[in-house]
Amino acid sequence: MQRITIDPITRLEGHGKIEIFLNEEGNVANTYFQIPELRGFERFCVGRPVEEMPLLTNRICGVCPEAHHMAAAKAVDAVYHVEVPPTGKKLRELLYMAFYATDHTTHFYALGGPDFIMGPDAPVAERNILGVIHKVGLEIGGKVIQMRKYGHTVVEIIGGRKVHPCTSIPGGLTKGITEEQRVEIEKMGRWAIEFAQFSLKAFNDIVLSNKTYLDLIVGDIYTHKTYYMGLVDANNKVNFYDGKVRVVGPDGKEYVKYEPKDYAANIAEHVEPWTYLKFPYLKNVGWKGFVDGPDSGVYMATPLSRLNTSDGMATPLAQAEYEKFYATLGGKPVHQRLAIHWARLIELLYAAEHWVELATDPEITSPNFHAIPTATPTEGVGIVEAPRGTLTHHYWTDERGVVTKVNLIVGTTNNYAPITMSIKKAADSLIKKGNVNEGLLNMVEMAFRAYDPCFGCATHSLPGQMPLEIIVRNPDGEPLEVLKQFCE
Amino acid sequence: MKTLVIGLGNPILGDDGVGWHVADEIAKYTADSPNVEVDCVSLGGLSLMERLTGSNRVILIDAIFTGRKPNGTVRQISLEDLPDLTSGHSASVHDTSLRNALSIGRSMDIPLPEDKDIIVVAIETENVYDFSQELSPAVAAAVPQTVKVVMDLLDG
Repeated sequence: MQRITIDPITRLEGHGKIEIFLNEEGNVANTYFQIPELRGFERFCVGRPVEEMPLLTNRICGVCPEAHHMAAAKAVDAVYHVEVPPTGKKLRELLYMAFYATDHTTHFYALGGPDFIMGPDAPVAERNILGVIHKVGLEIGGKVIQMRKYGHTVVEIIGGRKVHPCTSIPGGLTKGITEEQRVEIEKMGRWAIEFAQFSLKAFNDIVLSNKTYLDLIVGDIYTHKTYYMGLVDANNKVNFYDGKVRVVGPDGKEYVKYEPKDYAANIAEHVEPWTYLKFPYLKNVGWKGFVDGPDSGVYMATPLSRLNTSDGMATPLAQAEYEKFYATLGGKPVHQRLAIHWARLIELLYAAEHWVELATDPEITSPNFHAIPTATPTEGVGIVEAPRGTLTHHYWTDERGVVTKVNLIVGTTNNYAPITMSIKKAADSLIKKGNVNEGLLNMVEMAFRAYDPCFGCATHSLPGQMPLEIIVRNPDGEPLEVLKQFCE
Repeated sequence: MKTLVIGLGNPILGDDGVGWHVADEIAKYTADSPNVEVDCVSLGGLSLMERLTGSNRVILIDAIFTGRKPNGTVRQISLEDLPDLTSGHSASVHDTSLRNALSIGRSMDIPLPEDKDIIVVAIETENVYDFSQELSPAVAAAVPQTVKVVMDLLDG
């Protein structure tokens, strides 16, 4: 049996390892995608006051600390059985919109952009954000930097600190905002709306107007018919911060909708012998392996999933884009994974619009941002939509509020099974009778890049690339060919 | 010339937090130095570039894992010494490399230090997958030496 390994050689960014096994005919028999798991988080947390969790968990991940901060804050509120007053909730959500706008911008321009704006066949030296800036124009680089600056500024104003907010406590926040700050936040939000519209127009002009790219999006290679998950508000509109978890089937119809506290009745985790990471699946559908279809409990939780699970966007401009999205791609649900990039931009617009809605809310400068908890702490679940998928934090404490148990289901984990399936499908189409198409590395990368997975939750990166190595081995295990990326 | 000293890493991920430990010591020694600013961050790529804005000279203290040196080995390297991996497929999983980010920033006329003025002090580590606030013995033992390397750079 031939064996192909896509393997990193350093830990710098957190790494993934892909092994592709070929059968006797030289076609793909199976693929294995391994993500290293950070160890000992529960042990690290047990014995600490639960109110520390929003500060601790935002150090789990260097990519979405704000998401962990919010999920933890909500779980801690639940542990203390305290209802956050409206202003506290709105301030947290406002911070979260600014974070989303920043994160989605970075992903699109640094990662998705190179795939589409430069094109999947562009020379590798140009397939990066510098290439995008060169092609679209210098002005776009300035806008991306500006968007990030504004996002970080709002997080700092409300969260007390850039990137790693520290103001959420049981029952709300440690501080509110002044009218002067509100005016500044509103101004930045209005700029963000224009930026999001600009980004969608660029996507329309460069990607949707190009038949080759459009064919790539709607083609079969990156298509899986699975269940989809996302938080929705009372009107079944997309919501990042609060609401119920809604799951729709491959046919787009609602399968289940549940309160965050009921996640364990709906989600189970499958274990495979070749990886430490578990595969969450829909408990009441069951685990049937890495397969599509209504009988398989595999689900996806991404920007595309959120659009598929909702009945629309809660803001007018994003709603118009939502309607165009489904009209262009043939109705709901959309199963093509590369459409995640487009869905991400629609969410960027929603985040910017909602940012302004919250910044102009009459209650936003009220001092009513905290309620003192009075009940005895027990256990609680907090769920938010992280940019990369539904994020669940569940804590148990003793009567003093000291942590006794922790369970987390992080964004990327939801998508572990679908990512594995997408990699196999890409490999299937590019390896025939032992011939490995030279585009394998990029096409496999494109498969998982759409999901924007967190591999190792490493917090920093020097030099910052994800090293990959593909080794093609003969049946005796001897290397026939070695393809390297970002390896010394 | 004003120097920004940054401890990089995750303070709750074992040896990954060594940069913070060193930076904390540097902060004590330089509390009265108007030309030295010390910070600890968990950033990379664009975010790290943004943090360097306006600095003339930067010293980054960070954990590194090459598997080729004993744990606790301290090395001073320049940005150019890091593997030049900036061109290629996607940069990182979520962001771009610091060198790439610096190029972007400079093309936007953001005031940034030159590559030659960004010095990386790297400590070889191994235990970066287990949550802990403690450093492994070899890495903890390397902290005083790393502090000396950084202080010599500041004094030089």
